[in-house]
Amino acid sequence: MTSTEEILNVSALNVSYGEAKVLFDVNLSVRAGQIVACVGRNGAGKTTLLRSIAGFVKPTSGSITSRSTSLIGMAAYAIAGLGIKYVPQDKKVFSDLTVRENLELGSYASRDYNWAPVIDYFPRLRQLMDRKAGHLSGGERQMLMIGRAILGRPRLLLVDEPTEGLAPSIVAQLREVFRELSKQTALVMVEQNLPLVCAIAGKVYALHEGRTVAELADRELITPEICERYL
Amino acid sequence: MNVLRWWGGLLLAFSLLVLLRVFLPLPFANEIVIFSIYAMGCNFLLGRIGFISFGQPAYLAVGAYAAAFYLYYFGANAYIGLLIGVAAGLLVSFVVGPLFVRLRSDYFALVNLALAVIIYYLMQKVLADITHGDNGLWFLTNLSATPVLDLSSPNEFFIFALALAFVVWAFYKYLDDTVYGACCLATKANEDKLRFLGYSNFRIRLLAFVIANTTTALAGALYAVYLGFVSPEITSPMRAADPVVVTLLGGAGTLYGPLVGSIAYTGMKDLVSKAVGNWELIIGFGLVFIMLAGEKGIWGTLEPILKKMLSRARIFAVTGRDGADNP
Repeated sequence: MTSTEEILNVSALNVSYGEAKVLFDVNLSVRAGQIVACVGRNGAGKTTLLRSIAGFVKPTSGSITSRSTSLIGMAAYAIAGLGIKYVPQDKKVFSDLTVRENLELGSYASRDYNWAPVIDYFPRLRQLMDRKAGHLSGGERQMLMIGRAILGRPRLLLVDEPTEGLAPSIVAQLREVFRELSKQTALVMVEQNLPLVCAIAGKVYALHEGRTVAELADRELITPEICERYL
Repeated sequence: MNVLRWWGGLLLAFSLLVLLRVFLPLPFANEIVIFSIYAMGCNFLLGRIGFISFGQPAYLAVGAYAAAFYLYYFGANAYIGLLIGVAAGLLVSFVVGPLFVRLRSDYFALVNLALAVIIYYLMQKVLADITHGDNGLWFLTNLSATPVLDLSSPNEFFIFALALAFVVWAFYKYLDDTVYGACCLATKANEDKLRFLGYSNFRIRLLAFVIANTTTALAGALYAVYLGFVSPEITSPMRAADPVVVTLLGGAGTLYGPLVGSIAYTGMKDLVSKAVGNWELIIGFGLVFIMLAGEKGIWGTLEPILKKMLSRARIFAVTGRDGADNP
């Protein structure tokens, strides 16, 4: 993956839930190795944007392409098969399965049975292998969800509010994981944690009432004070 | 994986069944074995995929009538009859499955019931020329002796059915340990999450549908061979709830739930009906009580208790201390 390769391009995206229009002509692009953050108030359409890219919501118009492949109309599982993985906001794992079984699900789908990178990022998971996922803490579940998603070395990871409700120590761990991960996997992150966003994002999109109101591509402009204007 | 531990549970369960046969009349024992295979299909759909089906009699009838048509019109070998019954179940499942598994669970339950009603009337009226309608197909005297085990002999049929049930249980236990087994539980828990991992819920459900209903068709074919008779009554809508009741009674989603449920249900029916006239009422109250006492079903409630006892026994055997750290 070269650093200039465009991994994802969203152009003039419009999304509606029935009669209610949620996204209006949203644009977004992500390059290889880039961490892109989406910020905005609750209800701005950030999660809808990620779910549209992941194939869970069908746009009414616009385009979503990844390496010249249009994602619109593709089933969510097929998009995941292309190496675009979505980690949703809720921290719900498959509670009745153990950590090991959750990871096996990720391995089987991606044909990647090398868990070494996952354990490197989240050593805690090694001790939890035989524990039912329903008995994990919030931070441990997030580790499991991200660990499961990165199997198969996806080209793009869509992460929805990964640090919500987590302890500062876990947030710090995730910050370093995302930094390291971005060397091989581009990230699009919806996040309300501005210090985290400003520490690692190479580009920030601000959404307000379904519209892109700012695109900050200059690292010097990605500061909590500037980002806060759009919240 | 410890091979002995893997097979141990199965061998113990089926040894207990063999022991039970010493005390139970042969017809009762055969009924339990066949009914538990019947319930296993429903158990897999409900317990693993989360789909309740009131149409299992449809697939039971497919297996039974396919076997019966062969044994009445074409041949006398019960083994071939069974294979034909299973093949028919497989075919029907593949034909209707792609349509049915797209439906939400409540509609799935009803569309399967509709299929059971359709097959009932097909066999009772529309195809009466070949099914003989309510008079049914009688072919007990047609059955020839089969090699290894003579399925026309009730005793040897029991041995065969028991061995077949063992194979079925081993298959489902193996399935539980595979990634596909985890996929089934995952699709029941959260199908969106499974999609985001790259799995097609449709394919997972379709395969589960085919496996479950082929198992049910096998039970139907066994009924046909055992009784030497099939009538539309086998797919009567009045019996739609039977496998669901047995599944819930035993413990939905558990491996041995269908066996335990089948023993309990068949036992209750047999014992109570000998004592009172309105036995269905008594059984209804009994089921309500059992469900209230332990909504996980009999085996679903007992299994964790037994596992805990076994775990403590192992700890004690190794360390000389019980699980509460008491010497």
